[in-house]
Amino acid sequence: MIQKNITEEEAKVYEVLKQVPDPEVAVNIVDLGLIYKVLKNDEAKTLDVDVTLSTPGCPVGDTIIQHIQTVLENTYPEYAVLVDLVWEPAWNPDMISDDGRAELNA
Amino acid sequence: MQVGLSTKNAPSVWVVVPHFLIGTVSFLVASLFVVFNYQDLLGYHISGSVLSIIHLMILGWVSMIIFGALYQLIPVVMQVKLYSEKLAYLTLGGLVLGLFFLIAAFLGYKFQLTNNFIVGGSLVIFAITLFAFNTLKSALSSDEKSISKLYIMASGIYLLLTVLIGLFTVINLSYNLLPVAHTEFMKTHAVIGLVGWFLMLVIGVAAKLMPMFLIVHRTREELLKWGFYLINVGLLTILSVTFIKQVPEFVDVIAFILILAGLVLFLLFNYDVFSHRMRRKLDIGMKLSAIGLIMFALTTLSFIGTYFGNSVFGFPVGRIEIISGLLLIYGFFTGLILGQTYKTLPFIIWLFYYQKLVGKQKVPLVADLYSDKLATIHMYSFVASIALFITGLVFSIEIVLLFAAVAMVFTSMVYGVNVYKMIFHKKIIE
Repeated sequence: MIQKNITEEEAKVYEVLKQVPDPEVAVNIVDLGLIYKVLKNDEAKTLDVDVTLSTPGCPVGDTIIQHIQTVLENTYPEYAVLVDLVWEPAWNPDMISDDGRAELNA
Repeated sequence: MQVGLSTKNAPSVWVVVPHFLIGTVSFLVASLFVVFNYQDLLGYHISGSVLSIIHLMILGWVSMIIFGALYQLIPVVMQVKLYSEKLAYLTLGGLVLGLFFLIAAFLGYKFQLTNNFIVGGSLVIFAITLFAFNTLKSALSSDEKSISKLYIMASGIYLLLTVLIGLFTVINLSYNLLPVAHTEFMKTHAVIGLVGWFLMLVIGVAAKLMPMFLIVHRTREELLKWGFYLINVGLLTILSVTFIKQVPEFVDVIAFILILAGLVLFLLFNYDVFSHRMRRKLDIGMKLSAIGLIMFALTTLSFIGTYFGNSVFGFPVGRIEIISGLLLIYGFFTGLILGQTYKTLPFIIWLFYYQKLVGKQKVPLVADLYSDKLATIHMYSFVASIALFITGLVFSIEIVLLFAAVAMVFTSMVYGVNVYKMIFHKKIIE
């Protein structure tokens, strides 16, 4: 995870996002290191998520984004969810967590 | 917000799927033809049935699947939409109809140019030209700068050159414009077609897909860059000397070595990708692809064998050429297609049925659309078939060739069941 200093609430959002798998490799997008940032603003009632993809041509890219949007809207119905696709820093396999690595080769 | 996403650029499922369906039927029919004509593989002249098998395999199976898969992969590799889906349908129609006439022509082959040849050949040329145009137009509209795109664009140009050389050969036979033997033109036609079109395209697509599927970040792209120069210099040399009389033989040999060196660099690139993969456990698609690449290494060795096999081992050159062709078409192309089918076809079907449902209900994974068990079975029968073919050809044993042919029919049937399962998938709603 590249985001530092996350709140307890934001850590919970990361847990929720573990419901979203990459349909090809069947590993969740958090452990794949695809989530760069989660910002939960309880006053403005907004939830901002920065997500990347393993490659710009990823064939299931917007399916993943749509999945994130749906899962967060279902879990936090009173929040406005904004999912941003970002390319900086470029994703690399070192961003995969230990759990993700274990799942990839399970 | 979503710059670079390829799902929005993905072609219609109706453009891609018919190619896989027709390709699978061609693979099965070609394999059945081999069962009924297996003795011809040990012969020293090319019969009409062998030509039917070659054209069914090259046009009906390999080209058909490559066309369909490339329509799906252009958005992934180049991040643009396919230039025209209408042209893709027209290409498909031309190719199927042309193939039908060509096979009819070859089945009644008596070393004469018949109407079936003229109609079939013209339709295939028409289809291939449209495909090359569609691919090149798509590539030109992409801002992506990558080695993959370079190889794919070059392969489109070589595809057009292959067609032009084929046409020129036929015209030269009738009007004798250049005093060069038509066998020389046919050799150049085959080399430009197989290496310039097929292999350059495969290298271009593999350069993007292999690291993507195996999760490898740093690849040795410089190997592919050097490979590009070597293969192109080799191919252009072969192309140039075809039109010149009395060129010393060593020029051909040097061109051949350059191409071979380029292909070896491609193998080294893949070896490096497989060695550094994050995804250690290979799924069935990648296992079959790896087998295809091993077959390619064997093909490369057998190509060398066509030069030295006769002088060193006293082995007939014609037989080594048949082994090389078999390893290339049945071994490498077929192995890679069998594997990459599981990395392309289920995606487009999955996106068609489940893209709008993700998050709203439980949806199956892409891998749930086919049977892993069936794929594993046809992987073993495929390897057994190739091993039997090589044994039968090396030791000239007809019955072994028959077993090899039957094993390939079995492979095509089991593969066909899996393709059927994917294409006619019943939506799972919970």
